[in-house]
Amino acid sequence: MQKFILGLAIAAIPALAQAHDFTSGSIFIEHPMIQEAPPNAPVLGGYVTIHNNGDVPERLMGIESKTAEKVELHQSVVTDGIARMEPLAEGMEIPAGATVSLGDDGTHAMFIKPDRRYQAGDEVAATLFFENAGPVEVVFNVEQRSAEAAPNHEGHSQ
Amino acid sequence: MTGKASTGMRKLRIVLWALVVVAAAGAGFLAYGPRPTGVSEVEAIYAKPFQLVNQDGAAVTEANFLGKPSVWFYGFTHCPDVCPTALAEMSALLEELGPDADKLNVVFVSVDPERDTPEIMKEYVEYFDDRITGLTGDLAQVSTMAKDRYIFFEKEPMEGGDYLMGHQASIQLVTADGRFFGTLATEEGFDTRMAKLRRLIGQG
Ligand SMILES: [Cu+2]
Repeated sequence: MQKFILGLAIAAIPALAQAHDFTSGSIFIEHPMIQEAPPNAPVLGGYVTIHNNGDVPERLMGIESKTAEKVELHQSVVTDGIARMEPLAEGMEIPAGATVSLGDDGTHAMFIKPDRRYQAGDEVAATLFFENAGPVEVVFNVEQRSAEAAPNHEGHSQ
Repeated sequence: MTGKASTGMRKLRIVLWALVVVAAAGAGFLAYGPRPTGVSEVEAIYAKPFQLVNQDGAAVTEANFLGKPSVWFYGFTHCPDVCPTALAEMSALLEELGPDADKLNVVFVSVDPERDTPEIMKEYVEYFDDRITGLTGDLAQVSTMAKDRYIFFEKEPMEGGDYLMGHQASIQLVTADGRFFGTLATEEGFDTRMAKLRRLIGQG
C-alpha cells in the first residue's frame, strides 16, 4: 500500500551505521543524503552536514550534479502559516570551528528535474563548491524517507 | 473510498445532490434550530461548490467529500520537503488509525494545477498512501475553491522562468457537514495530531 513506509523502520538505524564522508583540507563533509521521492517527483531534497575544522569561516556557494538540470540551495520557511521556499542567495556559511547542516531550519539542496528516478540505495554524484576549499566531489546516498516528525513504530506509545 | 466517480456518474450525481440538500437542511437546522453541543457555529466553508479532478481523472465536487469528516492539505509536487513530509506523516497517522481511517476523507489539493496533472498526482499521492485523494484541475477552479476555504497560495517566480509556490502550511480538519473543525501542524507531535484526528472522527 504505502510504498515508502518501510522507511519508518529503516530510519531507526542511526545514520552513522551508513557513515560516508568526504574531506578537503579543513572541511569535513558528512553523509550527503537525498530522500527518496515519488517515482515522478520533479524535485529531490538533498541534505549534508559540514564541519569546518579550520580557523577561517567557510561558505558553501552551490552544488552541481550531472544527474539534475540544476541544483539550488533553498530554505523552506513557514511564516504566518504560509510555507514557502527561498533561495539561499548567499549560500550557507560554516563559521570557523562550527558544524552546519543543509537540513537545519528547512535548508536543503533542491535537485531540480533529475534525469531519472532515484530510489533508496542509488547514489548521486555531485560537486560541492566552497568559497575557500573550492570544488569537492561527493556522493549523495539516496535513502528512504523517514517521515521525520512521525515516530518509528516502536516509538509512539510513550 | 471517495472519488471513484468514473462509473455510474449520473446515479452518483443524483445521490450527491441529495447529500447537498441534506447538508443544506442540516446547515439550516444548525443555524436556526437548537444549538447542538460540540458542533461549532462556523460556516460550512467546505460545502461551498467546486469542480475539480481526482487522480483518476474523474470529475469531483465538494459533495464527494461531505458525509464523512475530512482532512485537507494543500501543496504541490515541485516541493522537496514540506509537502512530502506532510504526506508521509499523514500516511503514518492513517496507518495508526487502522480501520478507522476509512471514516475520514483525506484530500491533498494541488496549488500548482498547471504542472500537477491528474497522472502526476496519482503517482505522487499513491506513493505515500492510496487512501489519500489527490485533487487538481483548472487554476481558476482551484483558486476559487481555496479562496472560499480561506486557503492562501501564490506563485513565486524564480530566475529562469521557473517558479515556486507559497501555500497554507497547516492541515485543515473538517466535519462531515463541511465545517472547519481545527488544524494539524507538524510541530505538534504525532500523539497530539492523532488525538485530534480521533476527536474529529468522534465528532462525525
Ligand atoms: Cu527547494
